[in-house]
Amino acid sequence: MKREGPPAFFHAFFRWYCNPSFMRNIEGDLLEFYHERVKALGRQKADFLFVRDVIRLFRPAVIRRFNIYELIPTFGMYRNHLKTAWRNLLNNKAFSAINISGLTLGLACSILIGLWVNDELQMDKFHNDIDRIYTVTSVEYSGDEVNGSYYTPGLLGEELPKVFPEVEFAANFGWTQYHTFAVAEKKMRIQGNFAGDDFFKIFSYPLIAGSKDNLLRAPESIVISKKMAKSFFGSPEQALDKTLRFETYKDLKVTGVFDDIGDNSSEKFEYIISWQLMMERNQWLKDWRNSGPTAYVKLKPGTDAVMMNEKIREFIKNYDKQYSKLLRLELGLQPYGETYLHSTFRNGKISGGRIEYVNLFKLVAIFLLVIACVNFMNLSTARSVKRAREIGVRKTIGAQRTTLIGQFMTEAFVITLIAVVLALGLLNVMLTPFNLLTGKNIPSPLTDISFWSWMFGITMFTTMMSGMYPAVVLSSFRPAVVLKKAVYNVNTASGLVRKGLVVFQFSLSIIFIIGMIVVSQQVNFIQSTNIGYEKDNLLYVPISGRMAVSFDAYKRELLRQPGIVDVTYMSDRPVEIGNSTGGVEWEGKDPETRPTFTQAQVGYDFIRTTQTKLVLGRDFLPEANDSSNFIINETALKILGYKNPIGMPLTLWDIKGTIVGVVKDFHFNTLHVAIDPLILRLGKGRMWGWTLIRINAGHTQESLEAIGSLQAKFSPEVPFTYQFADEEYGMLYQREKIVQQLSRYFAGMAIFISCLGLLGSVIFAAAQRTKEVSIRKVMGANVRQIVTLLSSDFIKLVVIAAAISFPISYYIVRDWLNGFQYHVDIEWWTFLVSGLGAVVIALATVLFHAVKAAVSNPVDALKSE
Amino acid sequence: MKKYQIGEFEEIVMLTMCILGEDSYGVSIQKEIEARLKRDVSMGALHSALVRLEEKGFVKSANGESSEGREGRPRRYYKVTGLGHKAIAHIRKTREDLWRAIPAAAIKAKFFSL
Repeated sequence: MKREGPPAFFHAFFRWYCNPSFMRNIEGDLLEFYHERVKALGRQKADFLFVRDVIRLFRPAVIRRFNIYELIPTFGMYRNHLKTAWRNLLNNKAFSAINISGLTLGLACSILIGLWVNDELQMDKFHNDIDRIYTVTSVEYSGDEVNGSYYTPGLLGEELPKVFPEVEFAANFGWTQYHTFAVAEKKMRIQGNFAGDDFFKIFSYPLIAGSKDNLLRAPESIVISKKMAKSFFGSPEQALDKTLRFETYKDLKVTGVFDDIGDNSSEKFEYIISWQLMMERNQWLKDWRNSGPTAYVKLKPGTDAVMMNEKIREFIKNYDKQYSKLLRLELGLQPYGETYLHSTFRNGKISGGRIEYVNLFKLVAIFLLVIACVNFMNLSTARSVKRAREIGVRKTIGAQRTTLIGQFMTEAFVITLIAVVLALGLLNVMLTPFNLLTGKNIPSPLTDISFWSWMFGITMFTTMMSGMYPAVVLSSFRPAVVLKKAVYNVNTASGLVRKGLVVFQFSLSIIFIIGMIVVSQQVNFIQSTNIGYEKDNLLYVPISGRMAVSFDAYKRELLRQPGIVDVTYMSDRPVEIGNSTGGVEWEGKDPETRPTFTQAQVGYDFIRTTQTKLVLGRDFLPEANDSSNFIINETALKILGYKNPIGMPLTLWDIKGTIVGVVKDFHFNTLHVAIDPLILRLGKGRMWGWTLIRINAGHTQESLEAIGSLQAKFSPEVPFTYQFADEEYGMLYQREKIVQQLSRYFAGMAIFISCLGLLGSVIFAAAQRTKEVSIRKVMGANVRQIVTLLSSDFIKLVVIAAAISFPISYYIVRDWLNGFQYHVDIEWWTFLVSGLGAVVIALATVLFHAVKAAVSNPVDALKSE
Repeated sequence: MKKYQIGEFEEIVMLTMCILGEDSYGVSIQKEIEARLKRDVSMGALHSALVRLEEKGFVKSANGESSEGREGRPRRYYKVTGLGHKAIAHIRKTREDLWRAIPAAAIKAKFFSL
């Protein structure tokens, strides 16, 4: 079919928008041009030019005056709704201010939390094929003991693809460690990791130099970050195939450069070194009974993960000769996308982790918003008395109930919209401090399209939440009743609902306050509890260079420095000892079990330097031959079951020795978990580990200088770094500290918004009862009686709220505290203080206005009639 | 120029209308400008200019006959009014005054520096 005239759609479009007084003239011009061009240039070109002209004609001078009524048939009504909403807003400035400020704060907090939650949920989701990547989990069964973790044997990554054709790639991944690198004169101590050859094939960390094949095949290969490449070689391209000196003894070749790791990755590393080197440096990893590294696998597309999980479960059986029903390590697969948020094991099963905080904050966000919405519901229904006439008149004129509901929803929408705009402004201000507080790097979301669709949803939700109930109540008034009566009393049902809402608001607020207090108590407990060693004035220096071989000389030199009290060696840092083993034998051991012991090597003077308490026996002594002797902790003693442990035999792997000391339990893990049994043996300083140095309080600076100069003497190749034990300890509980801080703000916000609503209610009640108050005063009532009259109702509600919130908050905080093996008890005064606090704050709010109403001159109120 | 609010393009349109005389309507004006000034004229710009000029009273218009290709739509013929003539004459005078006020040397120097 051939079209005769110009493109019909654009022709119609032109006829629609053009001003009718000259539409036919311009249309004539258009057609004249069109037909001429068809002849001269052909139809296609003419069509194109026609469209161009129509679009160019779409200008103010040519477009007709549009009547807005034409576009939306019921526009007049909506316009009236908007107008009424706006006038109401201006008419009741106090209420509008309370409503809007409450909603603004609630919204801003909710959006902020929403951003945080979203950021948490998006973590690690940037990897391609994330649904095929799995983290290997391991559950250790030993007698009655079950222990779940991500620790797997060091040969697993290499072995898995050989055995299972479904496994496309697999790689071991070590633990974050600091190593020293040097190129020519430049040396740096940088944080990174070791991983198997497939690592970059499993994950999508983008490579900007080098190829994905055989990236980490050779033991001396290293892949470094862009940042590291720049600081050592100038640019990623120049870094390729160059060598770096690793820990003063080995040259590593750069086989690839990856782009700097973004904030959306939970793993942070500046370099990845070949797993082969890890195995060389840690011979114990070659034993299938030892575990430590993480392992990641990528399954082939279409693999059934449930089946695979089943297949991999008893994998270790073929490698561990002692594998039995009672003594086994079962493997499993967890989708990598879930690993970041779900990483806590309970009884060998994954249960929770960061997700608990994500869910908690989600709830907090919703509740804060609801509390703010309640203000609106409350005040609107309370004020309905004043608007009863308006509603009556509207209904008499013929307004349908649905129309009235529409009107009140419009009002809610206008207020919500204003609050949303203000909240976004507030959000921009609060984002920076919030990022600082939570250690995140959340960018301003205002340019994100999905954010706006979220905002649309939130606006609608808030409008519905806050507008629906008042709309239904107000639109239900019967016009005859409303118009006949001089004063229309809002029915008791809505009064009850209002009271219920206040109770609800304050219950939530009090729960927040109790939560805040308990979190603070627990964080303080963490800070102040006796962890079994003295963490103040204790610092660690990583062992390097000649420190290792001539540790004794290094120690002698250190002790000669001013301010240094004691020095010892330790293979791990006392805040975090992670090496556990089942390879322990003793007299009277049940052969069916293989309890896990944590083990570490220490130097002489360990007890003195860390200031741990010796319960029995002695510390390691240079004059005794202690190379095969052990010090154990109290928990270990309980497991061994020796009555008189000193001198009793103990075998760790192939070291047959005796116990020479028992140390009082100290926390070498977080307070979330129970203290594990610990075996300490004498290590004389090896290639790595830590020098633990106890310094005198108040001599920190000079001690540090002295230690630094000794470093230059013993290990000039390695830059001087050190860590303070108390700071490291604090780092372990960063998450709890953030929760403490946030809970403080949110509890404050909740109670503040609730009080705003209360203030509104009191202002309204006082206004309603102006005459009553005045008459009472004339009759001789004093201020105290009037204040009591105005405020007692509200205070009763807050007291009820407190009573309701106590059991609920008790369950919530108990649950949270149970996440810690060592925690504070819930004290009764916590409830008393928060309940009383809420009552006092509410009372202050109420009194603020009630007193004003009570001291007003009765004449002012009465003479107006 | 305070007296007569005319833009550069509006001035060109009016001058073109004077050239065309009786035969000035949308298509002819557009073609004339395009031919003489060798510039692309947007139909939207032209018609906006015509509407504005008519609002200011510099031109008047009347419906005329239709022709082949217009499918019965009438042409709208435009004519410069007396006020319009005054306005373009005023612009011309002010321009000439300005040119005359420039010292000859300045013009020369300008050319040389180019």
